[in-house]
Amino acid sequence: MSNSNLFLKSGFVRAPLQNGVGRYVCQLQRIVLKFCKSHGGSRGLRDFIEQDLVDFASNNPGVVVYLKPRRHRSPVVVAEYLNGDRVWMNMHNKTHSEITKWIEVLRTQQGDIASTRLRKYQYTDYPSVQGPWTPFTFKDPKLNVAELPNEEFGANNRLPMSATEQLRIMFEKQTLDVKPQEE
Amino acid sequence: MSAVKRAQQWATFARTWHIFDCKWQDPYESANVIKKYLMGLHKPIYHPMNDCGDVVVCINSREIALRGDEWRQRAYFHHTGYPGGATWTLAWELHNKDPTMIIKKAVYRAMKGNLQRRHTMERLFIYPGEVIPEEVKQNITNQIRQIRLVPTRLDHIPEEEVQKYPKVMDYPEDYVLK
Repeated sequence: MSNSNLFLKSGFVRAPLQNGVGRYVCQLQRIVLKFCKSHGGSRGLRDFIEQDLVDFASNNPGVVVYLKPRRHRSPVVVAEYLNGDRVWMNMHNKTHSEITKWIEVLRTQQGDIASTRLRKYQYTDYPSVQGPWTPFTFKDPKLNVAELPNEEFGANNRLPMSATEQLRIMFEKQTLDVKPQEE
Repeated sequence: MSAVKRAQQWATFARTWHIFDCKWQDPYESANVIKKYLMGLHKPIYHPMNDCGDVVVCINSREIALRGDEWRQRAYFHHTGYPGGATWTLAWELHNKDPTMIIKKAVYRAMKGNLQRRHTMERLFIYPGEVIPEEVKQNITNQIRQIRLVPTRLDHIPEEEVQKYPKVMDYPEDYVLK
């Protein structure tokens, strides 16, 4: 996370599975199209209003559509959602087909998804089946009763055997083998 | 949050106190090990933004072993800020003045220099000898394994064992040991 993301709303990845299992509730509540009647920057939005807006409104009776003409200002779409999110999107110089696609995005998304910082790229309701880790998992139970510091737990136990030690063990083995023959 | 979950959370994020015996250890090698425990890098829950570092207690820092002739060669630089205020202290001089300083500086240098470093260093306790205050000792639940094997001196091994140790040959009677 960099400093520029400090004020970004943070959240987790989620699957919008609940919505649409029984019935679909459109999360988009209100959409305001702000545009200029004369400027070229609003051309695409004006085309959208002329050709597609009536169909859009009749297909989505749950969405309130406002039109706000304003002189010599760039076109903007503001969408408001059931969870209180408000998405502001600039439509300056966007073509008709681009705007159709962006408005489809605004209609189908659940709240302001694009401007959340994902804390993690994975999420689960059941983080662990075997129980979460604690400092005492995989620990030698002998440590519970040991008096620390202790040579047994402090010495390095991964070093290879030294040649001296190997010779000593060979010698001990030899003496063990020899002894029964003498008796 | 249920009582069980709260206890679970507490257990997962509890700080463990580790003890590390510096006897015969290279401070610069062992700093890399101590660093991992101080920052919590040894835990599967590690994340730079969660506070999961542990406490490390170092004992016997007086008995550290530097490589080669580093006691004479390594210099520690300090500048007071005034003109002519630069000093270079050799490792053996520094160790005579403060036997905890070399291991402390080694751990400090092993960590990346960020805002967290000084707070992480607060969790490192260093004692020159074997004596630890009781309130520190009662928290210790784990020991960090040393890197090097601590050699045993011949005159510290009991006489019986030395006699029993297998020999390839005996010196002749008239052999003169230097």
